[in-house]
Amino acid sequence: MKKHHENKYAVYILTKNLIHIMYKRGEGIDLKVAQIVVRDRMMVQEGQAMPVLCDIRELRMVNKEARDFFAIEGSLLIKALAFWIAPPVTDTISEFYLSTQRTHIPTKSFSLKSEALDYLRTALLIAVMVWLIPL
Amino acid sequence: MQDTDDFRVKRINQMLLEMAKGNFFYSLEPSDKNDNLASLMVMINMVKEEIQASFIHQGFVSTDRTPQFLIQMSLIIDENGIVEMANQKACGILLRMRNAILGSPFTDLLTESSQKKWNKKMKTFLKRKHLDTSIKLSFKTKEGLLISKNCTVTNFRTLDGNSSKIIVNTVLFSNAEPDVKGLWKNAVEPGKESKRRKIRLSHGDIQKIRNVHDMILNNLESDPPHLKDLALQMGTNEFKLKYGFKELYGTTVFKFLIQERLRKAKTLIKYTSKSLKTIAHMVGFKSIPHFSRAFKEKYGRTPSSLRS
Repeated sequence: MKKHHENKYAVYILTKNLIHIMYKRGEGIDLKVAQIVVRDRMMVQEGQAMPVLCDIRELRMVNKEARDFFAIEGSLLIKALAFWIAPPVTDTISEFYLSTQRTHIPTKSFSLKSEALDYLRTALLIAVMVWLIPL
Repeated sequence: MQDTDDFRVKRINQMLLEMAKGNFFYSLEPSDKNDNLASLMVMINMVKEEIQASFIHQGFVSTDRTPQFLIQMSLIIDENGIVEMANQKACGILLRMRNAILGSPFTDLLTESSQKKWNKKMKTFLKRKHLDTSIKLSFKTKEGLLISKNCTVTNFRTLDGNSSKIIVNTVLFSNAEPDVKGLWKNAVEPGKESKRRKIRLSHGDIQKIRNVHDMILNNLESDPPHLKDLALQMGTNEFKLKYGFKELYGTTVFKFLIQERLRKAKTLIKYTSKSLKTIAHMVGFKSIPHFSRAFKEKYGRTPSSLRS
């Protein structure tokens, strides 16, 4: 069950367990671009909340309006988020985002894809356990 | 040459100097590189944006006297795309001599991507009968710093009716004291209302109010406790929370909560097929009529009209 979608700014792959977003190299993300990226992600997800692997290795700029948008509207329907980064630039961007925006979604950055995927799996498992414990 | 370390360090120095002067409207051009210097440049740009936002934000009036100055940048461009007029301030901001701007193509002042954007739009700008629009342009100073701003664009026909011209206008905020006499009058001074401030907020108070703000944002779907309890929970009092919140965020706690819930709801309505009832509950509204009413009040249309 794989679903593929692509726009000018990113590629989306929906697998059984998660959605994988790969940003393309471009001029940078402003509010308009952020809105398109989020809109398409939600369309691909068809209303289902899920873990997101976000490959930002090619990003070079995300402006404040876009960051603010990602933290509020852009965080909808995300169960856990892993940034796949390539230090130092995208490391700086993700660290800055995570320390200035207080998003309530479990989020972490990784240089290795395998570690990012492990994190998402664990985060999801914890979420399920928290949900089950009261039962 | 643009990517050499020397060149980039020079730009960084210029940028920091401008920030020290109180000019937060400049930024560094992002590069394709992925090295330490590039990451420092990215960091400076983001830090600058955050500081800039807090300056323009009413919240910063807490430091009592932070006069902000408006700098207007105006240019008149003729049918061939040549700059006919540029006000003194515009030249100053772009760090260019007036003679070098007048008579030269407007696109010389823009970054490559903005040049493309402008060239694409200019003809329509000239043709339209009544034009009052805005376009985001990135200007490049002589030293290579960027200014990205939404500019208003208007056109007019010359009195003899022979040609059309375009006016490009934008306003920048600066915290630097103006060097021209008389500009003080144009300074944005706190209005009468804010002068009559009833309370003084300490740094601790501001931090507590910010915590309330974050708490609300992260728990939109649940109703926050009564204001009095919320204040106690955060270690402050109702009065400080009420007035402090308004001062920092320009709105009341309750209105802020509704506004943020509606923002989320709007995105969910537009991009998912969930029912309106589910969405209203997801974002924290208990009653559908209340949700619809609040939505219409804010966006001027009903939630269901976004679907059709």
